[in-house]
Amino acid sequence: MTGPILELRQATKLYGGSPAIDGVDFSLATGEIHALVGENGAGKSTLTKVMAGVVTLSSGKMLIGGREVSPRTPLEARQLGVAMVFQENSLVPSMTVAQNLFLGQEKFYNRLRGIYIAAQQFLQSLNFDVPPTATVAQLGAAKKQMVEIARAVLHEAKVIIFDEPTASLTPEEKKYFFDLVRELKRRGVSVIFISHALEEALLISDRITVLRDGRHVVTDETKNFDRARVIQAMVGRDLSKTLYAGHKERVRPPGERVLTVENLRMAPMVKNNSLSVFAGQVTGVFGLVGSGRTETFKIVSGILKRDFFHGGEVILRGKPIRYLTPAPAVRDGIAYITEDRKVEGFFETMSIARNVYMGLLAKLGGRRPLVLNKEAETVGKKWVDVLNVRAIGQDVKVVELSGGNQQKIVIAKSLVQDPGLIIFDEPTRGVDVGAIAEIHQLIDRLADEGNAVVMISSYLPEIMAQSDRILVCRQGKVVEEFSAHEATEEKIMYAAIH
Amino acid sequence: MIAALRTLSDRLLGRGEASITVPIFDGALKPNQMLERAEVVDRFDEANDIATDGRVLFVADGRRVLRLADGAKTEAAAFDQTVTALCALGDGGLAVALDGREVCIRGGSADGSRSTGPVHAPFHAANAIAVTDGSLRNDGAQWVHDLMGRGSTGRLILLDPRSGEVREAVRGFAYAFGAGAFENGCLVSESWRHRLVAVGPEGRRRPVLDRLPVYPSRLAAATGGGFWLTAFTARTQLVEFVLRENAYRRRMMSEIAPEHWIAPRLRSGESYLEPMQGAHLRTMGVLKPWAPPRSYGLVVRLSAAGTPVYSLHSRVDGINHGIVAAAELAGFLYLLAKGPGRLLRLALADIEREAAA
Repeated sequence: MTGPILELRQATKLYGGSPAIDGVDFSLATGEIHALVGENGAGKSTLTKVMAGVVTLSSGKMLIGGREVSPRTPLEARQLGVAMVFQENSLVPSMTVAQNLFLGQEKFYNRLRGIYIAAQQFLQSLNFDVPPTATVAQLGAAKKQMVEIARAVLHEAKVIIFDEPTASLTPEEKKYFFDLVRELKRRGVSVIFISHALEEALLISDRITVLRDGRHVVTDETKNFDRARVIQAMVGRDLSKTLYAGHKERVRPPGERVLTVENLRMAPMVKNNSLSVFAGQVTGVFGLVGSGRTETFKIVSGILKRDFFHGGEVILRGKPIRYLTPAPAVRDGIAYITEDRKVEGFFETMSIARNVYMGLLAKLGGRRPLVLNKEAETVGKKWVDVLNVRAIGQDVKVVELSGGNQQKIVIAKSLVQDPGLIIFDEPTRGVDVGAIAEIHQLIDRLADEGNAVVMISSYLPEIMAQSDRILVCRQGKVVEEFSAHEATEEKIMYAAIH
Repeated sequence: MIAALRTLSDRLLGRGEASITVPIFDGALKPNQMLERAEVVDRFDEANDIATDGRVLFVADGRRVLRLADGAKTEAAAFDQTVTALCALGDGGLAVALDGREVCIRGGSADGSRSTGPVHAPFHAANAIAVTDGSLRNDGAQWVHDLMGRGSTGRLILLDPRSGEVREAVRGFAYAFGAGAFENGCLVSESWRHRLVAVGPEGRRRPVLDRLPVYPSRLAAATGGGFWLTAFTARTQLVEFVLRENAYRRRMMSEIAPEHWIAPRLRSGESYLEPMQGAHLRTMGVLKPWAPPRSYGLVVRLSAAGTPVYSLHSRVDGINHGIVAAAELAGFLYLLAKGPGRLLRLALADIEREAAA
């Protein structure tokens, strides 16, 4: 590492008079991998958006290569050598992968075949298995992320900012990604890496900066940090004993069998899948992207439909079910809490109270033809208190909340329906550690109250810490079951891959 | 009319009765190899049942009842018919089912009493008055004929050991195999419907545990409440398919020797002529052939409410298949594996320890 390529001095950004970041000092050395961590709302995204030219500073300085700059657009920042890979991807869905890669670099005459060949060679050099001719809309979340990363690398940026780059990647893809980041470092590119997965930050970075409530807390070399110190700096309290404490000390015994899935088929994702879910337990479901775990539970909750011919059986409390829409599943006490909260989880311009009330209306259906404002307020207030949603008031739009609080609203929207079978799909993706602990406590409480809880997660420490039994999916079906006592990360990963 | 249309559409779409699905061994039924590690106490050629009075173990072997105590095996009683089931009575007597035609009591306050009439074997009396009759059409040795014939003529019979009087409590079971005292009535294992049914005093039936991946056999009381449920073989999609293909099934039964039917067995792997269900699975990137088991061994520990707590298995590559009876004695669980003709023994403490791991 040499001198700083990028510096921020006393950086402050105000939104409506409130500081999102307040007097932050930050420096990035050439060829350095710098992890930026903090709870949701800590100011990480704002800080990086300033660097990427998405927003400008209210006060303070930004220097690139010792020269004071103030990029006003992402294009200006890119011309200065700063590129950002956003958490929500910025690709054009209707264009192909190759067209997205070369977007903004088109020549007067473009030979499509030439673009595809160049894109193919470039993606192969990065070891990314993405077809350049595929339309982006057809790609899954992980592959879209790969295209975003490839585009930043293609632009030969001197500084690349990754905002939660691994959230939707499989463990194998993460390994490729880390290799890529190390390769970028070898080439002298500096990388800023935002992640809620602290293990990743500790694994890959040279230095770590922790932000809290928009302020700089600490910057130090990674070797001087451990997990507990990072968490303590992030939240100002010690969560190491409550968050991912390893094996569960208390494993709940199975109660009544609530859900039985027998030989379920939905081509091409779910292949002859069978499993059971029991009351009073947390059933963890682990699998790589494409293993059919989400699709299986979307079929159970009526969001997807199984094969018309010989699609298998789904039995809820002894009664065979086949839902054509989610509404009857909700009425039968099934709650599916989506992994993609921004698209499927809430109405972003509606208030907290209205969003929660929508959940209740979904349950009541035709029995509640009129929307009662007072009832909506009462229901909203109750769930804001129960789930400790941090907001100025119930009238706040959900889009204005942090990721953790948005997730709590999505959960409240389902729990207000008083379900008996609750399916959490990636419940803590993109959620800060403080909210993760609260969501985990909620999952435990639901199981203790006798509900059947399913928790789908790609994050092994979470699966290990929360589940009473762990199902591993591979190639469209459950291939292995572990009790909480016998499970290890190696065993689970082995079952998921081989 | 509607039922007929539903059956037709189910057959066309592969739904309902025609879905040919089999529940998975998971949760408390997650497979292990505990039965394969059991100690082999003795071997019998024609053993049908075991029972205990809390001091010694009785084994029904052919036409004899053997007493096993202190490592010695002595003859407790001999009959001129095959002993198909046993039950130790609370007063020191022993109820013995003879060839599915009568129940005879030896010892105790009702010594010498004989009940004839509608009583068929196999039977198991939980508290000396509840008797199950698997099938009116087929005797115990022909259980596979009853399964493939889709029999549902099983009964629960109440027997007065003193007077020998019998009363039919419930009929229409698809092979009633085992029974145990449950709440204020009986718990009956209904093998061909893969479930346990609670029968109330007035004869009302209520499923307690259904959709089992096995054919349940007998129930035995467990220390601390609950039961040991034994199962003599596992369900497979191939057998479920054959059971729904009536023309094929009838022709198979009339033209092929029973040992080569596509049907569950108490033991398997003895002849290359045995039917197999071909399957495959991919391990380490290599496609490997695999066949579901034709025979299986399973014992399930049930809670007092009838919920599975944990289970002991002998899997496809095991030997101790066809478990038909269980009994607890002196800190051990004794099991009769009818497939290989073995009396097995496992220490209860070891079972508990392994199940908790």
